[in-house]
Amino acid sequence: MKKPLLLTAAIAMASSAATAETLRIPHELGFGGSESMDPISPQRFYEAIQTVYSRLVRQGEDGRPSPDLALSWEATPDAKEWTFKLRPGVTFHNGNAFTAEDVAFSLMRTQSETIDSPTKGVMGIIDHVDVVDPQTVKVVLKDSHADFPLLTMDYRIKMLDAETCGGDLDALCESGNGTGPFELVDLDALGTTTMKRFENYYGNRAGVENLELIAIADQDARVAALQAGQIDLVYSVSAEQVPLFAGNPGFTVQSVPSGRWVGLVMNTQEAPFSDPRVRKAIRMSADRDALGKLVYGKGGYIVSCDHPVWTGDQYRKEIDCGRDVDGAKALLSEAGFADGLEIELFVSDISEGAVKMAEVLQNQAKDAGIEIELVPAPADGYWGDVWMKEAFFATGWSQRPADQILNEAYRSGVAWNETAWNSADFDAKLDSARSELDFGKRKKLYGELQEELWETGGSFIPVHLNITRVLSSKISGLPPVEGFSIRYEDLTKNGSGS
Amino acid sequence: MRKLIATIASKPSGALGLGLTLFHLVLAVLAPWIAPFDPTVQNADAILLPPNATHWMGTDTLGRDVFSRVVHGGRLAIAVTFSAAVVATLWGGFAGIFFGTVGGRVDEYSMRIADAFLSMPWLLFLLLIISIGGAGPLTIIPTLGFFYGVAVLRVVRGAAMQISARDFVTAAKARGEALWPILTREMFPNLSDILLVEGAMRWSWMLLAFSSLSFLGFGATPPTPDWGLMVAQERGLLSTAPWGVFWPCVALSSLIIGINLLADAVGKALGLDRATAAAV
Repeated sequence: MKKPLLLTAAIAMASSAATAETLRIPHELGFGGSESMDPISPQRFYEAIQTVYSRLVRQGEDGRPSPDLALSWEATPDAKEWTFKLRPGVTFHNGNAFTAEDVAFSLMRTQSETIDSPTKGVMGIIDHVDVVDPQTVKVVLKDSHADFPLLTMDYRIKMLDAETCGGDLDALCESGNGTGPFELVDLDALGTTTMKRFENYYGNRAGVENLELIAIADQDARVAALQAGQIDLVYSVSAEQVPLFAGNPGFTVQSVPSGRWVGLVMNTQEAPFSDPRVRKAIRMSADRDALGKLVYGKGGYIVSCDHPVWTGDQYRKEIDCGRDVDGAKALLSEAGFADGLEIELFVSDISEGAVKMAEVLQNQAKDAGIEIELVPAPADGYWGDVWMKEAFFATGWSQRPADQILNEAYRSGVAWNETAWNSADFDAKLDSARSELDFGKRKKLYGELQEELWETGGSFIPVHLNITRVLSSKISGLPPVEGFSIRYEDLTKNGSGS
Repeated sequence: MRKLIATIASKPSGALGLGLTLFHLVLAVLAPWIAPFDPTVQNADAILLPPNATHWMGTDTLGRDVFSRVVHGGRLAIAVTFSAAVVATLWGGFAGIFFGTVGGRVDEYSMRIADAFLSMPWLLFLLLIISIGGAGPLTIIPTLGFFYGVAVLRVVRGAAMQISARDFVTAAKARGEALWPILTREMFPNLSDILLVEGAMRWSWMLLAFSSLSFLGFGATPPTPDWGLMVAQERGLLSTAPWGVFWPCVALSSLIIGINLLADAVGKALGLDRATAAAV
């Protein structure tokens, strides 16, 4: 009798040791320590909200809508009313049941004027949300939207517990009480934020017991930390950093085509960028293919023409944006800068290749008589102190569907309208595109919006990136999918999966 | 002067210091004619090439010739730090001579203020001032000059106190000479050798400080070829493409070693012992 008991205990101990692994992920400290656990806050703690909260609909491995807290959805023929059937038996980390009331609360608070969330421009199409029964909600839109489920895949449209948040639609809710695979233990954005597995998670039980989010602002430091075994993955490394890991059995290198981009932003309301000819001249001075090769290496990019819609998106419009130095000079001359233009560009090591991109554009723009002075800025706190504060600065965005990104970054007055783009015609066309039920016509309208951004917009988006992700070979369960499609609960370490 | 140079060159360490310093100065002046490539030209087809017949020190992450950038890399640093060293030596030296000569409460209070400055984390103050004033030479030269001038002041003041106790200074005071003639005719000629050595020493330290600033993004800005900036830009590739970091480090180290050896040799040639003269 003793032997089986000992054997059972030994197996239990071994099992316990195997599952007590801690997954360690770096975070970029982009808001300098003021990261918020409210997913719709402008300063949302990206890595934390990805693991603590859940959405109604999330990306499948192919990027298409896949059930999460909503098991199914359907629309009326005019695509103005969307009904979502919710997953039963789901609880929040504090034990409260997840119901349709929570969905109504979570969706309607995105409209708050007080919070002024970056999601307001995208979700502003919601008129109201009806609670049909505890497991069913009907979202009524102000206008038709054939792709509405795509909007609910936004990484910030997470479902919060209305009770924990006090039911206040205008207040930030930073409790960290979600339905995700990990629950918050200790929030320390400047240091290490710790989480533990949520045992009542409705999906696959998390493969590791603990999760740590470690603040490392500098890209080289993140790579060094991965090499030293202090963290388990780096979301994206530069082309020249790949040889540090390639062929090393201790690491797995993944190449992931994505809609991510690192770009430069001109504030369209501030001189000299308030003149569209100046903006176009700067864009025309760039040799995008050479820039891509220099910054991201061969195969590390796909050329784009200053609009945010990537090649994998069904609404992508291909535009010819070859380099035209003479054309750029002519535009500058027309704009009153015949003798050349001197501008300052604020850059930081915020995203892979941002500083190098600025340096390459600086070199290329010289040929058109544009002298760019680079002003280095610290990476920690960049998003609060520099981004959208200066007239010309670096930026970085993760992949988003066409409708979402066009509404989130270019609709007049929205929180993350980084180019201060303000065009009633553009807004009207955005409304027309998202409410058009015919796919061909909708695609044409989205295409026209992209052309307009190339002609007159304030973004410089020379390429979209093929992300190179590196993870420790101790990690498994992470296929080469785009960041928003990662299912953190499926990650295991040292065979710790249960 | 010839005798001084001959004395310096007679010792191996002095000859090495003089040679290294002159080598770098000549390199900085003649860089445009020595460098085989434009140090700012990027080449997408020549990224991170190891040293070869065309690119003797290899290429960096933007395909630029590392040798050309190393040759140009000392120009800004040398110009800025030499200017700052002159500023530091002039104000620190004059203030040191003045306080060492007048003594009394003015000297006591001033030295406490100087001690307070010396106890401050100077790099943080530098970063603060440069953050406010910008990263250009017009901010960096006076800032470096001021902070390093405090150390010069402390050393020169100590030496000036010894000189001011000598008979010829006492005699000048007894003759009723004004303070200015005493400072310029009696004190300065007897402290000029210390000033020279101090200036050289502070210059080498400033080179390191300026390169540190560039490394941190507060000194030279892209695309300026600068040793500190080059190390910062290529530091993540030490294990795969070390040439981008190695050569600028060699250049910076050799110049600093050269100036230090030269300052030592000058001090010895002038009969100074740096170990006792340099109190800070």
